Amino acid sequence: MPDSGMLRRARSLAALVGILILAIVTSPTASDGSRIFLQAGNLTDILRQISLIGILSLSMTYVILTGGIDLSVGSILALSTAVTAMFLTRGYTTHIGVAILTAVLASAAVGALNGVVIAATRIQPFIVTLASMIGVRGLAKWLTSNQNIDIGFGRDLAAEFASIFREKAIVIGAYACAAALFWVVLARTVFGRHVRAVGDNEKAAEYAGLPIRTTKIWVYTLSGLFSGLAGVLYAAENHQGNPNAGVAYELDAIAAVVIGGTRLSGGKGSISGTIVGTLIMGVLTNMLRLNNVDSNVEMMIKAVIIVLAVAVQRERN
Amino acid sequence: MGEVKTVSEILQAEGITKHYGGVYALKGASFSLRAGEVHALMGENGAGKSTLARILAGSARADGGTVRVHGEPVEIASPLDAQRLGIGIIYQELDLFPNLTAGENIVIGNLHFPEGRVVDFRRIEDFCRPFLRQVGLTCAIATPAAALSIGQMQLLAIARALSMDARIILMDEPTSALFDDAAERLFRLIAGLRERGVSIVYVSHKMEEIFRVCDRATVLRDGETIGTVETQSSSVDEVIRMMVGRELRIMARAGRRAAGDVALKAENLSTAKLKSVSFEVRRGEVLGIAGLVGSGRSELGAALFGIDRITGGTLRIAGRPYAPGSPRAAMSAGVGLLPEDRRLQGLMMRMSVLENATLAVLPRLSRLGFLRMGQEAASLGPVARRLALDCPWVTAPVSQLSGGNQQKVLLARWLLLNPDVLFLDDPTRGIDIGAKQDIYRLIDELAAEGKAIVLVSSELPELLHCADRILVLNEGRITARYDAREATQEMILSAATTAVPSPGAQR
Repeated sequence: MPDSGMLRRARSLAALVGILILAIVTSPTASDGSRIFLQAGNLTDILRQISLIGILSLSMTYVILTGGIDLSVGSILALSTAVTAMFLTRGYTTHIGVAILTAVLASAAVGALNGVVIAATRIQPFIVTLASMIGVRGLAKWLTSNQNIDIGFGRDLAAEFASIFREKAIVIGAYACAAALFWVVLARTVFGRHVRAVGDNEKAAEYAGLPIRTTKIWVYTLSGLFSGLAGVLYAAENHQGNPNAGVAYELDAIAAVVIGGTRLSGGKGSISGTIVGTLIMGVLTNMLRLNNVDSNVEMMIKAVIIVLAVAVQRERN
Repeated sequence: MGEVKTVSEILQAEGITKHYGGVYALKGASFSLRAGEVHALMGENGAGKSTLARILAGSARADGGTVRVHGEPVEIASPLDAQRLGIGIIYQELDLFPNLTAGENIVIGNLHFPEGRVVDFRRIEDFCRPFLRQVGLTCAIATPAAALSIGQMQLLAIARALSMDARIILMDEPTSALFDDAAERLFRLIAGLRERGVSIVYVSHKMEEIFRVCDRATVLRDGETIGTVETQSSSVDEVIRMMVGRELRIMARAGRRAAGDVALKAENLSTAKLKSVSFEVRRGEVLGIAGLVGSGRSELGAALFGIDRITGGTLRIAGRPYAPGSPRAAMSAGVGLLPEDRRLQGLMMRMSVLENATLAVLPRLSRLGFLRMGQEAASLGPVARRLALDCPWVTAPVSQLSGGNQQKVLLARWLLLNPDVLFLDDPTRGIDIGAKQDIYRLIDELAAEGKAIVLVSSELPELLHCADRILVLNEGRITARYDAREATQEMILSAATTAVPSPGAQR
């Protein structure tokens, strides 16, 4: 008898296969008669497009597994783009690595702050991260005086950074590495076990002597850190530090997580599910765009998909 | 008119059965209430008193049996039905809406308060005033329920029942959360209600109260009605005998071991719920703790395990001072706690059997934070065999197991940790006989290995069977200490239910 987790994973995988088939069938054809959807360029484009949300949704999975939520990831991403661009264009450093490291560490610090406040005050994560979503957005805008910091196309440090980190291989590779990391940590480490246990039953976790606060602080720190990493990639891809970047990304990330079968109430979920959820969203977007569906209609269709995906995976009781 | 009906019987319940899953809470219980009497419903924890009260109030449905009101068979399918029949209930955990005002709490869902489309505060005020006066609640009608004291909330709940024109009021352990003066006020109110012909069903296991307040008492045991007595012509001893029931042959455990060194010693241990509790438990000894729910027996575990803050007194483990600040600290000092409620405090229901069992010992089963999966899987084997754990496979979700096997998974967690002092809080609650026997055997074995076991149990025969010595807790104090070979259920129950005289010397 397969356990219910496997069954649900199989369902979301089936949904992905269904959408893939639909995308192939409805794909417009190129002049040589091949389906555009299946072209290598298009497929890698999809992967590259989902990579940023994909990275956010990986750490979001951990947060949601503990029974929390992180609404601040979009704002942290914006902060990270701003810090990256400032360091690269204003001569604060002559080394690309220093700029990236600063941005990622600043983002991780914001995440750690989220975690500490949540663990220490026991205010709901929704409220704490809603506050930091607002506050960190403000910080990013204040740092940049509300301006985009452009990264040029010349031969300077910033341009060199952008040309490296907007490479498809780098972006997709970063997502793939992060996915592997999150997968292994959840399945194979003590920390991963604690993440699930805390979200499953926090009271029981207390009675089992688990480090509840430390676990929470770490998942929000990771969420900040990987939002920062996504911000670095965003800055490279868009050639700018943008304090208005990443608006509503947290919602896309949450959507990918729940489509992947992770329960918002915590304790149950998987990285593989989240990856499938992210792919479903990516393939769907690509399919609709290839068919020139209005982007507003695209949002409406996504709305239906989210509800449907969660409805099929509901446990029957 | 064919047969003569006893007109004075306002409420009769006959052959009431109710089961939850495979467990029977009521097995053909009967109960009959006269108009204008205060009638106690008594029994040990789990005897079925509260279930019967809930059925009469429409918040639980009986699987079988009949209920008559004024001799007419009735169907009480919902609290609204009960309201129409004039039956009101005051729950132990008062079912008020904390954020609504006192007045709103009275009128909401009240059939006697015709609702308009618009909330009319003056009308609410006019409606509520007489009932609040009747129960002697002096708060403003606009006071939120949450701002009231427990005693006031109870009066509010009674006022609500009266406003619904209840002629029968069920009170489920009404004094369990009350201080002395509030309880006094409640007793006076009950007397006043009886004067006016309201019938009251008083669910409790506190002897003094019952003999003071009630006219008659019906005793339930294991879901069956044992009998009804007039309190005038009965005695505490008689009622206790009825509650305890069958003379169980107490099998002394074969070959009592000589107890070893003192493993845990508490001196004047005090917390919010415990008052100056002193005891010691030795290696190889099983110390039984008896007491009603709320007596402080679970709080003793919470204090020993670093969950409740200790406000006074000292603890020593193997002679060394011990001041647990967290369960983690308690565990590293060699103390384990099997909590009272395995679903709420023990198990991760969405995780597997194996994951639940190894949760507290993961550091030992890992290297550099990475789990050694093979070692983890192997670790459970011997423990599972020892517990006679019956599960299809160790990766099955623990939620799929029976109650007894779930409890064994939780015990496995502690066997893996192997603490010197193990506090078992009602380990056999709600599990089948077979699993109970396995757990008794395990307790015996652990003691034989030199562990110090503290065993809390709601079942007195179980305590008498498993424990070497027994302490009785009552309202946070130790009221009796017995050698288990000399104690009887009657002695223990009497010490657990007799009111503790408030000591002048202590706070």
